[in-house]
Amino acid sequence: MVVQLLVNGLSIGMIYVLVASGLILLLGVVRIFNFAHGEYYMLGAFITYGMCQLLNVNFFLSIAIAMVAVSVLGIFSYRLIFQHMRGDILLCTGASIGLSMMLQRGALLGFGTQQRGLHPPVSGRLAVGPVGLPSEKVVAIVLCIAIMIGLYVLLMRTKVGKAMRAVKVDNEVASLQGINTNRIYLIVFTMGCALAAMAGGIIAPVFSVTPTMGNVILLKCLMVLMVGGMESMIGGVIGGVVVGLITSFGTFYLGALSEVLLFAIIGVILVFKPGGLFGEAH
Amino acid sequence: MALLPTVVKSPYYMHLVIMTCDNIMLGLSFSLLYSTGLLTMAAGAFWGIGAYTSALLVMKAGLSFWIALPLSGMCSVLIALGTGAVITRIPGIAFLIQTMVISLIIPEVVGYSEFLGGWGGLLGIPGPSPIGPLRFVGKAPYYYLVVVLLMLNVLAFAALYSSRVGRAWRSIRVNAQLAETLGINLYRFRLLAFVISSAAAGLAGSFYAHYFQALEPGMFTAFKSINVQIFAILGGLNYYVVGPAVGAAIMTFVPELLRVGKEIEPVITGAVLILLVIFLPGGVLSLPERLGSFSWGLMRRTKSDGAPAKPGLYKGD
Repeated sequence: MVVQLLVNGLSIGMIYVLVASGLILLLGVVRIFNFAHGEYYMLGAFITYGMCQLLNVNFFLSIAIAMVAVSVLGIFSYRLIFQHMRGDILLCTGASIGLSMMLQRGALLGFGTQQRGLHPPVSGRLAVGPVGLPSEKVVAIVLCIAIMIGLYVLLMRTKVGKAMRAVKVDNEVASLQGINTNRIYLIVFTMGCALAAMAGGIIAPVFSVTPTMGNVILLKCLMVLMVGGMESMIGGVIGGVVVGLITSFGTFYLGALSEVLLFAIIGVILVFKPGGLFGEAH
Repeated sequence: MALLPTVVKSPYYMHLVIMTCDNIMLGLSFSLLYSTGLLTMAAGAFWGIGAYTSALLVMKAGLSFWIALPLSGMCSVLIALGTGAVITRIPGIAFLIQTMVISLIIPEVVGYSEFLGGWGGLLGIPGPSPIGPLRFVGKAPYYYLVVVLLMLNVLAFAALYSSRVGRAWRSIRVNAQLAETLGINLYRFRLLAFVISSAAAGLAGSFYAHYFQALEPGMFTAFKSINVQIFAILGGLNYYVVGPAVGAAIMTFVPELLRVGKEIEPVITGAVLILLVIFLPGGVLSLPERLGSFSWGLMRRTKSDGAPAKPGLYKGD
């Protein structure tokens, strides 16, 4: 039972990691905060569902299509809206909340309120020793870990990643070094959207797909940022896994009280580390 | 203003006016925090705390509204002190996120708690008990009550803004590091602003509970706090008192008068918010000034440099 709870917690925690790492990248490099990030996740789930269930496209191909489609939307929303308000948290908040309201209500009007479920691409249970694990969750965990490793390699080993880190440290000096900062902002924003869409696609077979699923993931991601801090990717990873595990074990042992437990733990962390576990304390 | 109920006969429009006054109090509490450079998403949550405290004190403890009103303000103050002591230490985006989480938690807690009424909410909250000949029947007495509350609120805030405290808040917003070198304790002043603004929100909530006489957790979700933020942005953030008033009036009246469907309303609100933030970040009240500088610029054929430097809100320092 403990192993199953662990797998449950890790699978949902890794989804939080994917979405939250997009938010952390946006905060660090582009210096904006996007409350509409949960809607990209929701749209990713819907597009994956539509491709896979209605058009019978391969599951993994559907996720890729969803990522591309949501990335295009992300490029538009960056160019039209967020480009004008980098570094101004108030305007960002206003505009992204407006965007979130539009996308969410649009999805609600377009797709209706009924819950949709996707048949898992791989079904059955994976026998590990004496316990059987739901294989779609194992697939989700493996996919997410692979993506995070890919993201790490991109950020640490490639030229674009190096440019992103340079822009994060100081965008003016970076542009003096010949880095096209506007292109980097656009790439990072698009990457964040693609990560969110991918998380939505991966979660589509595990949870039901609804137009309001973005709210839930956004709240959890805000908690991830509070636990792990907003400065580093490693904080996002640790925070995501911690929140996922607490949710999973707490729901099993405490029921509805698990939310209270989560808030209590976050409160304790904030008392001792106001910026989160890996955040810089001011 | 005192004669308004004799002019406006329709209870529907009186309701809108009363709601506008209640919303203005919320907008004021948002802009009080903004005057120190903090952006809050918890105004709606403290409004809900005030409303529930007041309703429960009257319904379960049998207190009079006139005692429950200040007590609900006190309850908001206590909760704001407890949470603010932790979250006001880091300003900027962290504060915004933490207040957002507060405003998402409070309705959940109320919904899951049977004692607080659960998801069904509280119904049949009694109105204020009569004082002397004034009995709370119809809209007019409530209108006078909310106007008195609003006036007290405005006077208190205006006095604060023009006092040492208000100047300290503004100096923190303009340049926190400089303010700190001048001997201003950033943490204490930010906490003070958070507590005072929460108290105002709590009082507004307490009035609403006894005016509307029904409460449910859906009334003070994050959506309420977002609306409060829209009041302040729409009116103009640099006008601490008039800005929220104009914004709240527009946001209360226009959707009602346009009678747009409830389903499509968030789409329109969202679109308006985006357009506003892109094209008119100074709010409606900055419109004459901008038009003036625009035509002046055309006449002089020079580029206007009138835009004031924006304070660094990103990291809060």
